[in-house]
Amino acid sequence: MIQSRSPLAKIGKGLQILLLLAYAVFALFPLLWMFIMSIKPDSQMLTTTFIFTPTLENYATVLHSDYMQFFFNNLIVSVAAVLVSLVVGVPAAYALARFQFKGKEDIAFTILSFRFAPEILVILPLYLIYQRLGLYDTYFGLIWVYQLITLPLLIWILRGFFEDISPDIEAAAQLDGYTWWQVFLRVLLPLVKPGLVAAGLLCFIFAWNSFTFPLLLSNNVQTSTVIALRYLASDTVHYGQVAAAAAISALPEVILALLIQKHLVRGLSFGAVKG
Amino acid sequence: MKIRFTWPSSFAVVSAVSLALPLADSARAQQSAFDWKQASGTKLVVMLNKHPYADAIIKRLQEFKDLTGIDVETSETPEENYFDKLTAALASKNGTPDVFMTGTYQLWDYATAGYMEPLDAYLNDPSQTNADYDYKDIYEGVRNGGRWDLVPGHATGTGQQWALPLGFETNIIAYNKKYFDEKGLKPPKTFDELYKLAKQLKGWNGPGSYGVAVRGTRNWATIHPGYMTTFTNAGAKDFEIKDGKLVSDLGSAKSVEVTKEFAQLVKDAGPPAWSSYTWYQCGADFGAGKAAMLFDADILGYFQNVPGGSAEAGNIAYSPPPVMKEGDPVGANEWIWQVAINKSSKNKKAAWLFVQYFTGKEHGTWAAINASVVDPPRKSIWDNPNFQAVMSKMPGYLDTFNTIIANTSVKFTPQPYFSESTTEWAATLQKIVLSGADPKAAMTDLAKRITAKTSKLKLDQPAKTARQ
Amino acid sequence: MFLGEGAGAFNHRSWNAPMSTTVSSPQTQLSALPPGGSASKESIAHARRRRFRPYLVLAPALILTIGIFIPFIAAICLSFTDYSLNSSDVSFIGFDNYLSMLQSSDFWHSLWITIEYAFLCTAVEMLLGVGVALLLNDENIVARFLRIVLIFPLMIAPVIGTLIWKLITNPSVGILVGPMRMIGLGDFKWAASPDSAMFSLVVVDAWVYTPFVIILVLAGLRSLPKSPYEAALIDGGSPWFVFKNLTLPMLAPVLLITLVFRLMLSLQEFSIIFALTEGGPGDATMSLSLQAYNRAFPFYGLAEAIPMMLFLWALVYFVSFILIGFWRRAQQRAAGVA
Repeated sequence: MIQSRSPLAKIGKGLQILLLLAYAVFALFPLLWMFIMSIKPDSQMLTTTFIFTPTLENYATVLHSDYMQFFFNNLIVSVAAVLVSLVVGVPAAYALARFQFKGKEDIAFTILSFRFAPEILVILPLYLIYQRLGLYDTYFGLIWVYQLITLPLLIWILRGFFEDISPDIEAAAQLDGYTWWQVFLRVLLPLVKPGLVAAGLLCFIFAWNSFTFPLLLSNNVQTSTVIALRYLASDTVHYGQVAAAAAISALPEVILALLIQKHLVRGLSFGAVKG
Repeated sequence: MKIRFTWPSSFAVVSAVSLALPLADSARAQQSAFDWKQASGTKLVVMLNKHPYADAIIKRLQEFKDLTGIDVETSETPEENYFDKLTAALASKNGTPDVFMTGTYQLWDYATAGYMEPLDAYLNDPSQTNADYDYKDIYEGVRNGGRWDLVPGHATGTGQQWALPLGFETNIIAYNKKYFDEKGLKPPKTFDELYKLAKQLKGWNGPGSYGVAVRGTRNWATIHPGYMTTFTNAGAKDFEIKDGKLVSDLGSAKSVEVTKEFAQLVKDAGPPAWSSYTWYQCGADFGAGKAAMLFDADILGYFQNVPGGSAEAGNIAYSPPPVMKEGDPVGANEWIWQVAINKSSKNKKAAWLFVQYFTGKEHGTWAAINASVVDPPRKSIWDNPNFQAVMSKMPGYLDTFNTIIANTSVKFTPQPYFSESTTEWAATLQKIVLSGADPKAAMTDLAKRITAKTSKLKLDQPAKTARQ
Repeated sequence: MFLGEGAGAFNHRSWNAPMSTTVSSPQTQLSALPPGGSASKESIAHARRRRFRPYLVLAPALILTIGIFIPFIAAICLSFTDYSLNSSDVSFIGFDNYLSMLQSSDFWHSLWITIEYAFLCTAVEMLLGVGVALLLNDENIVARFLRIVLIFPLMIAPVIGTLIWKLITNPSVGILVGPMRMIGLGDFKWAASPDSAMFSLVVVDAWVYTPFVIILVLAGLRSLPKSPYEAALIDGGSPWFVFKNLTLPMLAPVLLITLVFRLMLSLQEFSIIFALTEGGPGDATMSLSLQAYNRAFPFYGLAEAIPMMLFLWALVYFVSFILIGFWRRAQQRAAGVA
């Protein structure tokens, strides 16, 4: 951010990049190894060198099984869960940031506290209730229960971003003749965009990787996250198939991240934050 | 159980007279007339654990549907999470699943809790059980694994049949024959030989390689293969009934001694990351040529030897588990994957046809030869030349099996705290191996903690767990 | 539950103040209320609507999530019984489950492990995450490329991520064993030794969840206003001075919310510990959530496990409550910085 041309600053910059690369090795090497595993045959799986005969067999096995059905289940459930959270959560975050009303902090904290209950604590009663209500093994049932994971995260992250915006901006824009909706869409949303994108992405990732809820609350509507473990243990361990399944399973997250990457920066340079 | 159907009175007499199977002539005469279509139009929900045994069922669902007119919906859950899911489903007592896969040890909890339908009435009813079923064809030690009288402390093999076997595994030594032959080594016969050989083989195939792969995670599954087999071959016992109470015997001199020796084996010749090893890491290390021997389920060594299954496939052979003294009878603990009927199922007639079909001779034989269902639970399959032809590619497998099958049974004492006591047992073993805990003190403490639980069980009546 | 009245008062002006009656009311649309009635009643109706408006906006979020109270309360009720998954009998036993928990040394051991785990993971991830986010908040080519790539570890389910780590660090067949041997650490046993099991867990947890911190902090950095920095640049402040007096205070609310989420999730962490050590070796990593799981499912004693999980819940509640208090103060202070 602060530009400087002195040699000391250049060394500093170089050091920065080195540190970044060091972390990148830590973060990315296991993923690289996972990818390598996914293209290794079983018989060479546990060699400790990079020399092997690449194969697409693991992907073929996974793609030709019913895995993709569970993959699409996961896609439906996770996308829907995030959409519901956005529709419900963005206004709620806004309300918590802007309005003054009795019990506000209590309500906000209550929403956060929905994330506190350990999944194991509630899972069995939840299971019995779901069966009674006919929600067991349904898309709707999972989308609903995922709100416990996604909504508190979305609301609390966005609330902070909304509070950072001065109410004066809204007022000014409105006095210019914009309707509130126009203000919301054209002024507020661009300003909170980094937060919205980050929170939305995290919500999707957490919904997608959720394990305990889909494991126990669904059967045919099972998600790929649970099913990927199938390849671990059958006749023998198929690490390659697990890795291929995990790689396929990560695709929607990676694509989503790449798509929204450029929105991780604020859309308007109003200079308007906390004016 | 409320029996909603009726059968000819002559058969009712047969089944009422004895618990034995209706192999009487009258039943035989009926065999061609057995009505597989008696529950046609029903739909069954079946919960399966991801396993070759389950895959074999799924492959032949169409045949079953064609034969019986019963529709089947299956789900396969990864093994790590299977029992959690199954327990939740059974505890909800709402009729699903109709049929489920279970293991012997879990059966003790499920049958005690009243989740399982007793099967004797079905087995003894010729209108419901095809005369071809041939119950006695199943090895005694294996069919008894599904039989229990619900009294904690009473061995398996008495009381009702709760589940019937799809396949099972014994615990033996698998070894790298290629290397053993090169070096002129012989597979060990006694535990002492195993220890010495395994210790000597450290680094046999480059850095990180070691003598013998055994499991070590903090889980009940660590206890039941090699360790429990050694434990019972040494004459040690897990429980005793003293003064009408079920008391842990793990603190006894014999238990401590064998535990100490096994811990020494792990320390000096086991996998370097032993405490994070469950069956698949053991199998994978052995298949990758990192472990010279594998002391675990026979089928684990089998799958590593299937062409393309591992780097060492084709180099593997099998031999019986070690005994303490040469000449001791050699046996093994076993693990059985079984199928059972949910007590709350509303389709029991169809469920029984499912259990009968998939534990029957015809499917069993097909599955053993074509779908890697080893070890098959029926003697007739082991005698089948086609199966023997398949197994002949596995040097020593058949001989080993025939040597130990007579003494192979469930070596644990049935009781509803099985999972807890064996998990704690595994934790204690870890402490002895890794934290230098004194074997005697650690095992005595373990026994005390287990007894605190099990001594509350009432032994004179079918168990109702007295949890405090 | 009550957070104190004063804390709710922000120095923001109320949204309602500048609103003119001619502009179509945002809140009306937001809460999907029909347009106001006749002009004479409008102000009263409007005022009432305005008072209920926030509740109406929040209602859907609450309705969607409040259902969790039913299983939650059901679980509390169960905790006073001896309900178990391997017995058909249930009887009321009062506080026995709670008393036996408090008397069990295993429980206190697990509580300590849980706190140690959460503290170590959260500390490492916050420091690492903030550091990396600062490094990424730059326009050099490395940073631009890595900005999105570095969050990939979060996209692998933690169970599978742990499995990969287990393979990499395996002393017999792991890829890392060669380099480790070269630097003289060939005997390092990672999760398979009681001495290094916790360390290994923290490494894996940090690998999985540091990207969570990076994303949020980076989003926070990216939405900081530019003008204060321009002013600081003119004043010639050192980078550290700028960070300490400008970035940190403005970033504090985001940092605290990130901290809340990391702390509350690491206190409850199950997948990673289960997949890596199952609580072992011995009892070296037996956290509360693991012990509760063991008790509830593999050991079938669901009712005995509930007090442990309620204790965990209360712990998370308490910690979050305090941190949210800090967050509100930071939020006010941040508003004053720029």
